Amino acid sequence: MRIYDPTASGPQKTLYRAPAIASLEGRTIGVLENGKLNAPEMLRELAALFEARHGCTLHPLYSKSNASAPAPDGVLAKAAAEVDFLITGLGD
Amino acid sequence: MPLDSHRIHDIPDDLLAAIDYCYEQGWTDGLPVIPPVIDRVEATLAYEGRPPEAVIATHPATGLQLTVHAAAVNAVMAGCLPEYFPVLVAAFEAMDKPDFNFHGSTASTGGSAPLVIVSGPVADDIGMNADVNLFGPGNRANATIGRATRLILRNVFQMIPGISDKSTQGQPAKYSFCIAERARGNPWPLLCQAQGYPEGVSSVTVFASGGFCNVENHGGNTPEQVLGSVADAMANYGCITLGQSVVILAPEHMHIVADAGWSRADAQSFLFAQAKRSVEGMRGVGKYRDVEYNKQHESDAHPRVEADQFHRGLCPEDILITMGGGDAGGHSCFLPSWSRGRSSLMQHKPIGVCIDCG
Repeated sequence: MRIYDPTASGPQKTLYRAPAIASLEGRTIGVLENGKLNAPEMLRELAALFEARHGCTLHPLYSKSNASAPAPDGVLAKAAAEVDFLITGLGD
Repeated sequence: MPLDSHRIHDIPDDLLAAIDYCYEQGWTDGLPVIPPVIDRVEATLAYEGRPPEAVIATHPATGLQLTVHAAAVNAVMAGCLPEYFPVLVAAFEAMDKPDFNFHGSTASTGGSAPLVIVSGPVADDIGMNADVNLFGPGNRANATIGRATRLILRNVFQMIPGISDKSTQGQPAKYSFCIAERARGNPWPLLCQAQGYPEGVSSVTVFASGGFCNVENHGGNTPEQVLGSVADAMANYGCITLGQSVVILAPEHMHIVADAGWSRADAQSFLFAQAKRSVEGMRGVGKYRDVEYNKQHESDAHPRVEADQFHRGLCPEDILITMGGGDAGGHSCFLPSWSRGRSSLMQHKPIGVCIDCG
């Protein structure tokens, strides 16, 4: 018996990691909150730890209203230009 | 001749062993599937005019693509007859629209299932059920089109429970969730007509749905009474959100509403106005959020939005309402959108034709 495979092969993708920053000291933190309940509050608490421990500065929050879709066009590019590292979340 | 570009598995010529093989490969929804033999897949492909490698839908995150061929393979596995195939294709074309967000609705802890509603003459042409036991069980077309939808999400898009489908509890509709809109005795324009398609063109509507809520009312005999019970179901604290809704009125309920002269728009307006909770109540159960209230009460808020009330949805048009089910029984249903914040909006497509190709 010959049967077809019902699955699909994914496209070949080359993924790159951003280069690690050498130090957290004095850096500007970006936060992208994803619209989930308590996301801004939780992420601000997390950012506060970086502020306290590494003298970081929190940039005004970026937001998206749809947690399961990419950030709106331009948000990530804007963030890349304005902050040194970005924290995003949350899950349920 | 089999298509060389598609992977083929050579297995012993034993049907039960082939069923077990499909289980071992992880290709099933937990139930036995029909082994997708070549001649059945080719018979299914004959119902689609595009070449087998044509892409119907693409996963926005992974880039995995649903081709006509892969859809046909999964349709055979689900038990679809070839003539059901155009409905399945149209369903995924609709789900591929960004505003439907099939990735988010499938991956979410919310456990939605894509409800597929077929409207128009194709429902009768392929033997779908719009009548008794509308949501199942018992009808091959309804059951297998819905099942093929899930198999594609699993096999092609790799939305696998526990891995990329993180639904907390799942729901039975994730096996299969496909109905036909009842045309016989329907006093309102069918969905395919209301959606603006030319006469004779059928449509499929897809909706990322939460759990099915039966709305029983055998004593009400006015539109306000019948729809009042529907609105109460829509406003239950477990699912009141800014999301859209689907309401399928049983014929008994529809006749109470329509015989009083109410149109679809009248029913939608009433439901939207009545399906609400006080802000105080929403705070009491921990579901109030300023951002959601503000979105509903902005300067362009619908005229029926009331101050200090949180309504279900943003406007009456967020409520799809039509008729389905058997002639006897005061049992309608309400289906909430998976999305609390409008991350998925229902979409529709014509079946078997291209209306706006250009």
